[in-house]
Amino acid sequence: MASVSDMYDVTWEEMRDKLRKWREENYRNSEQIVEVGEELIQEHASKLGDDIWIIYEQVMIAALDCSRDDLATTCLHELQKQFQGSHRVKRLAGMRLEALERYDEALKMYNDILQDDSTNTAARKRKIAILKAQGKSTEAIRELNEYLEQFVGDQEAWHELAELYINEHDYAKAAFSLEELMMTNPHNHLYCEQYAEVKYTQGGIENLELSRKYFAQALKLNNRNMRALFGLYLSASHIAASPKVSAKVKKDNVKYAAWAASQINRAYQLAGHGTKETKCSLKAVEEMLESMQIMPS
Amino acid sequence: MTVIKLTTQAYCKMLLHAAKYPHCAVNGLLVAENQKRKDGQPVLCVDCVPLFHGTLALAPMMEIALTLIDTWCKENKYVIAGYYQANERIKETRPNQFAEKVAARIAENFSEAALIMVDNSKISMSCYDPAISVFEHHDNKWKCRDASIDCCEDWSEAQKIMSALLEDRSYDSLIDFDNHLDDLRNDWTNPEINKSILHLC
Repeated sequence: MASVSDMYDVTWEEMRDKLRKWREENYRNSEQIVEVGEELIQEHASKLGDDIWIIYEQVMIAALDCSRDDLATTCLHELQKQFQGSHRVKRLAGMRLEALERYDEALKMYNDILQDDSTNTAARKRKIAILKAQGKSTEAIRELNEYLEQFVGDQEAWHELAELYINEHDYAKAAFSLEELMMTNPHNHLYCEQYAEVKYTQGGIENLELSRKYFAQALKLNNRNMRALFGLYLSASHIAASPKVSAKVKKDNVKYAAWAASQINRAYQLAGHGTKETKCSLKAVEEMLESMQIMPS
Repeated sequence: MTVIKLTTQAYCKMLLHAAKYPHCAVNGLLVAENQKRKDGQPVLCVDCVPLFHGTLALAPMMEIALTLIDTWCKENKYVIAGYYQANERIKETRPNQFAEKVAARIAENFSEAALIMVDNSKISMSCYDPAISVFEHHDNKWKCRDASIDCCEDWSEAQKIMSALLEDRSYDSLIDFDNHLDDLRNDWTNPEINKSILHLC
């Protein structure tokens, strides 16, 4: 089988840099990480210097994702040799047990870590992950809430909580979790946009108006966010069509919706560049917007 | 009672979607040709439009997708005939409230709409068994159809082609509606994959 470096004509440094990029941006492209990382470890270990340890960790986790227990065990052993007694490595051993669905043994590992160091957030989060994997959503949510009382600044945890609530269709609590995230990350357009989606899903005029405001806010933060643009169009259209709003509110929302529609059309035209498939897409979008248009009464 | 069947293209694209995002829940739509059917003739889902991956249970983008794809269907003489979902957890094969709601919405427009749940545990390189369960709407509930009923128009063809696509890692190039929203140039009709499937037929 051809090597990665042969197939894509890359050097080992480029492979190492790619791994770093994926690590820093938290990508979960596990198949690629395994492909690139395995070759890097097998062919170029001596050149990697101290980078090799963090690469072992990254590749091990990706290997677990791909059911490559052989590769995961190799990486784990190297890390265990180098960092004896390390909690960070022990957590990785726990993750391997989770991947093998040996949850009781994994729990024991995490509890051992917590007995040694009760503030170890990684071990606590893995315990919650086990509850999630076992389908125990209610317990996972409860444990996560308890965790967040102690570790209020953990963004990743707030986002996980929001998603757990959304999956349970508890949109009000999901909104609350996203509010926490927006407070600490006011410039993040993705949180704004997801919050707007949750509000829209909750329904009712007040939530629709809130959703429209937050879709607009997300657009202000990133004017290329298509979801926010579509969301603005949708929420404004629904508000304008509602019999419960005043004439002024109706008129304003018709304006917002019309603006959003023209921006959507423009975005599709820019993306189109005249290819046949995208012409169809553009036509479909135009027709969709027309069919959804609410005529002011 | 009308029976829903899938063509090879519909079945394969659906499973490719699940294979592309093994750690996420995924969902999408199935479309059939919009034509008058004789009594007893099965509904044949000829294509699949993969929609979202990750957090599925939010309304706005689903509404946009349904409206847009409905418009596309009308232009191509198709009709939205079903909804599929693969849950995040491997052991979870039952439809949730969101799946039932979307399927019910589709059924308003197409009374024989099907709700298809992907059985993650049956996805394998050899594609030994069909990896789906078909739910039909009876007495206001979604009931699982007898698994012995053939869900594909030509299972041995679907099996062979699915296996080949998985070997090739064709799922890497599958585009869903989420990918389209990230970059409008991404084409959710997946013409290249359609070509590959035709080629393998």
